[in-house]
Amino acid sequence: MKAGDQFRTGWRNLSRQKLRTTLTIFAIVIGAVSVTVMLSLVTSAKSFLTSSFEKTGEIKRVIVTSHQNLSYRESKWSSSDGSGVRLTDEIVATLETIDHVNSVSPVVTGGGFNEASVDGKTESLNGAGMFGFVPNGTIHWEVLAGRELEASDAGTGGVLTQVMANSIGYKGNYEELIGKTVTFLTASKDQQNGQTPLEVKVVGVVAAEDRLVIVDLEMAAGLYRNAGQGEYEKQKAQCDEMTKQNGGNVPPDCQKLDPNQFGFDPIKQYGYASIYVDMEDDKYADQVINDVEKLTGAGAAAGRDEVDDQNKAFTIIGLVLGGIGGIALFVAAIGVINTMVMATLERTREIGIMRAIGATKKTVRRLFTVEAGVLGFMGGVFGVALSFGVATGLNQILNKQLEDNGVAARNVVSVPIGLALIVIAVTTGIGMLAGRLPARRAANLDPVEALRYE
Amino acid sequence: MSLIECSGLTKTYRLGDETVHALDGVNLTINEGDFVAISGPSGSGKSTLANMIGGLDQPDSGSVIVNGNDLAKARDKDLAAYRNSNIGFVFQSFNLQAHETALENVISPLVIGGVGKKKSRREMGMAALARLGLEDRAKHKPSQLSGGQRQRVAIARALVNSPKVVIADEPTGNLDSQRGAGVMDELARLNREEGITLIVITHDPNIAKRAKRVLNIVDGRITEVRGEG
Repeated sequence: MKAGDQFRTGWRNLSRQKLRTTLTIFAIVIGAVSVTVMLSLVTSAKSFLTSSFEKTGEIKRVIVTSHQNLSYRESKWSSSDGSGVRLTDEIVATLETIDHVNSVSPVVTGGGFNEASVDGKTESLNGAGMFGFVPNGTIHWEVLAGRELEASDAGTGGVLTQVMANSIGYKGNYEELIGKTVTFLTASKDQQNGQTPLEVKVVGVVAAEDRLVIVDLEMAAGLYRNAGQGEYEKQKAQCDEMTKQNGGNVPPDCQKLDPNQFGFDPIKQYGYASIYVDMEDDKYADQVINDVEKLTGAGAAAGRDEVDDQNKAFTIIGLVLGGIGGIALFVAAIGVINTMVMATLERTREIGIMRAIGATKKTVRRLFTVEAGVLGFMGGVFGVALSFGVATGLNQILNKQLEDNGVAARNVVSVPIGLALIVIAVTTGIGMLAGRLPARRAANLDPVEALRYE
Repeated sequence: MSLIECSGLTKTYRLGDETVHALDGVNLTINEGDFVAISGPSGSGKSTLANMIGGLDQPDSGSVIVNGNDLAKARDKDLAAYRNSNIGFVFQSFNLQAHETALENVISPLVIGGVGKKKSRREMGMAALARLGLEDRAKHKPSQLSGGQRQRVAIARALVNSPKVVIADEPTGNLDSQRGAGVMDELARLNREEGITLIVITHDPNIAKRAKRVLNIVDGRITEVRGEG
């Protein structure tokens, strides 16, 4: 029997029992959809993470911190408190000499801003952060409006993260924010206590999960210095008042008042919060980390390792979820066996006729195997088609969610074509495998008996 | 010229505790162009003999020699090919596929044998139907045909691959006498005009009378042979 005729016959036989065929296929569709959607979610999460790390250059980044053995994530949030290795300009210079290092940027973090005003309107911020760095190409963000920070912005310009822009009332209107001056305060104005406000002319809005104002290193460091200056001036004024009241005698405490002490510079004192290193390629991560630790004693963590760790976690989640889908497929396979056993029983006499007019056992076996395979194939095709629909639906929900969380993401969930094809191949294979037993039974029927079957 | 030579055919079945000798040392030669009637009481083994000649069943011992090959030792594949191209079966209960049209039923041996393409199959099928005067019933399903027409469709199916032998097992058993006679006329005509070897299993003496040879089987043995043979 020719292959084309086998398919045609198989298809005809299936369409004779439309309801049963539909239900059997439906079971496979459920299995195929669960496997496809779950694995797509995981692969999408992986590629989303990887691509966002690639887009921002984080994949090639090593963060150097005061303490060794911090994870990349911990390194991101590390700050200098005087313990561990002090990250100085000497260390920055050393890092620049390491092989495969493109560029290096020291980072200062801080902030604790509670208010921001723009265009005369003040919004409460509840402790938003500040990120200072050297805009020399080491660190990049995904730009949503305007541009990234450039060296020429030093002292005036700043970039806001999407979450920050949302917080100050510019959600979705990031373009409008460009060129505006935003003033950040650590405390409300009346209890300012000498704190110097941070005035930033917005040059861009970037995607990030954190509520940050991003400025150049000098500006960030200067904020601390100015804060010290303000405090000195406040105490000086108090001392001057007391001296005047005391008839020109300087009180002992005031004699010790030293402007240099107030010129407290946490960077000089504690060093940088961290130093970001941009490598030529992520494959040098281990080598660079090794060199950093050997040459400086400081800790280092690679963005690539973060991606690897997360991907490992996603792989495990994927296996678990895929396993659940696999169980659904297994149950569907039992449905196929059931359907095909029924079919062989119903068609016993037909099998006898086929044998009488010249069908071999193999032909009969193939016919039923093809039928079962067609069930699997149809289930796979419809399942994959439905999965694309589910992915579209999920994307609509996720896009909104992610956007609310300050991530510029569009259509995160995608069903990889390769996965779709594999799922179809697997369901077809499962169908054929499930059809083997009934097909064998049909093929081994005694034709004489089968012809007598009522 | 001998076409099929059976010698020493035995076949036993178990029916509960009883052993039934369906065939018990049967020797038989069938010549090209024969019209053989095999008669006997039910359960005598006549269908078993016909099925062995037709390559649908194999004996426990003995041989069925066709063209120098022993069907008793043939593989499934060769038996199937033999049935497909050399034998046409006609059954008492027609055994048409209910969901297929008359034409589709008729060409099914061509489909299974992988003979020809769609167009040539159709032509061959229509020709076979025409030989039995059923060309205007090609698109009818079996349920839309009378019993006699159904059996003629079954005969057309048996003929479509131009077999040497047609084996008809009680072909008139499900038909009234008039329609039965019509079907037998067709079969007899094929034997007479086209030289097709015809083996008819029957317990109807009127049909047996028309055959050139009559074999009588009782308890698995050929007890009487009438005619040249």
